[in-house]
Amino acid sequence: MHELSIALDVCRIAEEHVGARALPRVTAIGLDVGDRAGIEIDNLQFCLEALLASPPFGSGVPDITRLSGDELSVTYVEVEDNGGP
Amino acid sequence: MAVRRIEVREKVMAKNDELAAEVRRRLTEHGVPALNLVSSPGSGKTTLLERTLETLGDRLTMAVVTGDVQTQNDADRLASRTDRLVQAVVTGGACHLDARQVLSALEEVSLGDTDLLFIENVGNLVCPASWDLGETAKVVIFSVTEGEDKPLKYPRMFERSGYCVLNKTDLLPYLPFDVDAAVSYAREVNPDLRFFFTSALTGNGVDAWCDFLLEQTRGEVEVAG
Repeated sequence: MHELSIALDVCRIAEEHVGARALPRVTAIGLDVGDRAGIEIDNLQFCLEALLASPPFGSGVPDITRLSGDELSVTYVEVEDNGGP
Repeated sequence: MAVRRIEVREKVMAKNDELAAEVRRRLTEHGVPALNLVSSPGSGKTTLLERTLETLGDRLTMAVVTGDVQTQNDADRLASRTDRLVQAVVTGGACHLDARQVLSALEEVSLGDTDLLFIENVGNLVCPASWDLGETAKVVIFSVTEGEDKPLKYPRMFERSGYCVLNKTDLLPYLPFDVDAAVSYAREVNPDLRFFFTSALTGNGVDAWCDFLLEQTRGEVEVAG
């Protein structure tokens, strides 16, 4: 039920790391999600797919790695390289 | 298309945990224990709080932050039992309280004049287990109308709670509810769980619960959950 809140936090973390102007160029966000993290992974996937396909994002996708334990982390953000810093 | 990968390695709950730490710091500074009441909808959280405010109102100054998905009904009920401000948090659809909401609610609570804080979470046995609110302990409430295997169905909530109130015991004569099995299932999940058996409606068992709350305000209870 709370996966949308989690997905919004994932987007906030991505913005902190790449900056607001780069969000349309985000191609993927990597996450580690443990089986005891209290997350319904299909639901989180759905929420992230919806958010990453809508402004300020463009056509990003979530890349969720399932683990054992209670891990819930953003591991990477991938952006289209426009040659800038 | 060339892409660039930026390594992040950041816990998703880190921001909430940071705010929860600030809630905990403020509560500790003023010596105010805080209990986060969690349960499924309809277990009797609000009725137990009403009974508690009535019973201890002349001995303790208690503050309440109460969360609901919609309406301020619970806050209105509790406000009629206390002179203190009852802070209502309407989550607008969210299925849990988070630390930001509690921190914001505490802005209006005079912690220096408070002996004990209750945080009545949104009725839900899944999501509130994931959010640290800066509380001293979680208290999970479940009622005899819910089925004794609830701890096995929702283990995370029972694992993360330090205390358990089994409520609506006045209905036991009319239900095939096995109290021993319920306690056994709960302790299977969390061997350290301390139990209270109450009927918030009739007041039966509420004295032991209130004695525990008085212990809390004297700093006699370890942080749990």
